Amino acid sequence: MIEIRFHGRGGQGAVLASELLAQAAFLDGRSPQSFPFFGVERRGAPVTAYARVDDRPIGVRTSIVTPDVVVVLEPGLLRTTSVGDGLRTGGLLLVNSPLPPARLEAPDGVRRASVDATAIALAHGLGSRTMPIVNTTILGALARVTGVVSLEALGRAIDRYVPAAPAENRAAATDGFASVRLGDPAAPSANGAARIPFAVTVPIPEGPLARLPSSSIRTGSWRTLVPEIDERRCTRCNFCWKYCPDDAIELDGRGYPVLVLDACKGCGICAEVCPPHTIAMVAASEGP
Amino acid sequence: MTREVLSGNHAQSHAVRLARAQVISAYPITPQTTIVEKLAEFVATGALEAQLIEVESEHSALQAVVSASALGARTYTATSSQGLLLMHELLHWAAGLRAPIVMGVVNRAVAPPWNIGADHTDTMSQRDTGWIQFYPESNQEVLDTVLVAYRLAETAEVRLPVMVSEDAFYLSHTVEPVDVPEPEIVDRFLPPRTGHAILVPGTVGRLGSFTGPDRYVEFRRELARASAQVPRVLPEVEEEYRRLTGRSHGGALPTYRAEGADAVLVTMGTMTTTARTVVDELRAAGQRVGLAKLRLFRPFPDTELRRLAATVDRLGVVDRSYTFGASGAAATEVQAALYRGPHRPLVAGFLAGVGGRDVTPAHIRRMFAELLGPADPEPRWADLAPLEVDVHG
Repeated sequence: MIEIRFHGRGGQGAVLASELLAQAAFLDGRSPQSFPFFGVERRGAPVTAYARVDDRPIGVRTSIVTPDVVVVLEPGLLRTTSVGDGLRTGGLLLVNSPLPPARLEAPDGVRRASVDATAIALAHGLGSRTMPIVNTTILGALARVTGVVSLEALGRAIDRYVPAAPAENRAAATDGFASVRLGDPAAPSANGAARIPFAVTVPIPEGPLARLPSSSIRTGSWRTLVPEIDERRCTRCNFCWKYCPDDAIELDGRGYPVLVLDACKGCGICAEVCPPHTIAMVAASEGP
Repeated sequence: MTREVLSGNHAQSHAVRLARAQVISAYPITPQTTIVEKLAEFVATGALEAQLIEVESEHSALQAVVSASALGARTYTATSSQGLLLMHELLHWAAGLRAPIVMGVVNRAVAPPWNIGADHTDTMSQRDTGWIQFYPESNQEVLDTVLVAYRLAETAEVRLPVMVSEDAFYLSHTVEPVDVPEPEIVDRFLPPRTGHAILVPGTVGRLGSFTGPDRYVEFRRELARASAQVPRVLPEVEEEYRRLTGRSHGGALPTYRAEGADAVLVTMGTMTTTARTVVDELRAAGQRVGLAKLRLFRPFPDTELRRLAATVDRLGVVDRSYTFGASGAAATEVQAALYRGPHRPLVAGFLAGVGGRDVTPAHIRRMFAELLGPADPEPRWADLAPLEVDVHG
């Protein structure tokens, strides 16, 4: 049995990626199981999906905590989510990234692979610059580096189950298959102890009576867009501060809005309510 | 027959399509929504000829199908968690009016705090409403059980509504291969509903009349009698389904390697699959352990349990919900059923998987180890997080 864990963001297609993998494995004559885990059902929130493939029916119904393969659809998650948790020695980390595999951080003994799925997806017109739909591209790459499904079965699964632009998605999968790069295993650290590759703060579990301000919940990691405030045209009406659902806008001593980046999830409500339209939503990678 | 990779929710939708349900009404709630979305698609494409009634709440959804069922229609609704709680009043009405409704319930934790994970508190809170309750463990079992549920519900001596539950995400959103029977096969198993319409168009009739103490008792007694028919009718219905499709899921309390076992774990829903794998592993290591799946919770399978109790000295019962003031509902019911019987093995209650927490092979192994250790009937939380959290912040 092979266990694969997908990390993506809500709306990006991680859940469909995991399901498509199951459909393709089934077309290859194997026995799949796949399901998503939703923490918060919001566009942009981190989403995890699990897939198991075996030659006989799967005899376990739990989430995957010691995966053979981890697939990361959104490179920004590497900074905010412990995507490498539990990855088995000899396992594989596949990341949507233009970087060569050797430059990806990974737990010791884990093989690394990268594919510039964003560029490939955009070249085929899949999604937008701020929200590229990379799932089929990365599945092509996964098929190549793991052999868990055939590219042929993946193409047939895309034809049957991808609701929009199946031809483009099939072409993207083929490009992902062709261009994925597989690197060497991450070198063991000097003292032999496993390194924790990504320092991540686990949020404090909240009970029904939340005493923490909303801004303490670090939803900044969900952001694909970020507000850009043009102070010159700001009238200090404070609508943005008032309407922000996450206390992600504070007021400075002069009454101008200041962004709390850890808390801003990029929902765009501030830009919507700003009377003089001084707030623009820009791609998170290019914003503050 | 076609074999497809389907989610538990879509397995339920396909079963309702094959059952040719005539009136469907539901209100969206995660993780149920995709069941009815798929049904709406079937209706829109003509794959299912049914009336889909849009409503403003779960309470109204159940009222709509209760009324349609009273007119003789084959009906379906689906919900989850808070939605089921909002239906509570009408659950009693549906059973009391002997409306053979089938309802899909995706078992989801009840707030507070908000949580969308698998948990049986929602359906366990409805166990006294007169509904029949099934807890399948796989998407195949979901599909087959919905079809069996219609036959059972519409059997003249039963005529009671049925809930077919699915553990949230572990079934509702899990995709896996499922055999979908051909419509002609299902038509033979489940012909159109006939007879027993309470209301007839064009004829005067009323729902909700008053009954005094002189007759009310007998009315409730009739309901109890109907429920008591299930243990006899279910095997007959399942046998017929098996003849047509080749599949049966083993009645109210199917067992696995329970013969000659020193300890048997009684599980519900998806944890059963994981537990079965652990039983194989422990048997291979020479431990005599077995499994019993509490597939039917209402009516409670007393007779089957007493039969099992005659062969084993230690029973562990795993509940995926907590009944405040009394611990696990399944464990309590198992103890009650066996106290009235001749064999009284040790019954230990475990609480596990509440709020969507994984019930892992390690948890199951630990439960078996505790069951085989010093006798301790006290109910216990089997999977508390190592960190105690002050929920009041």
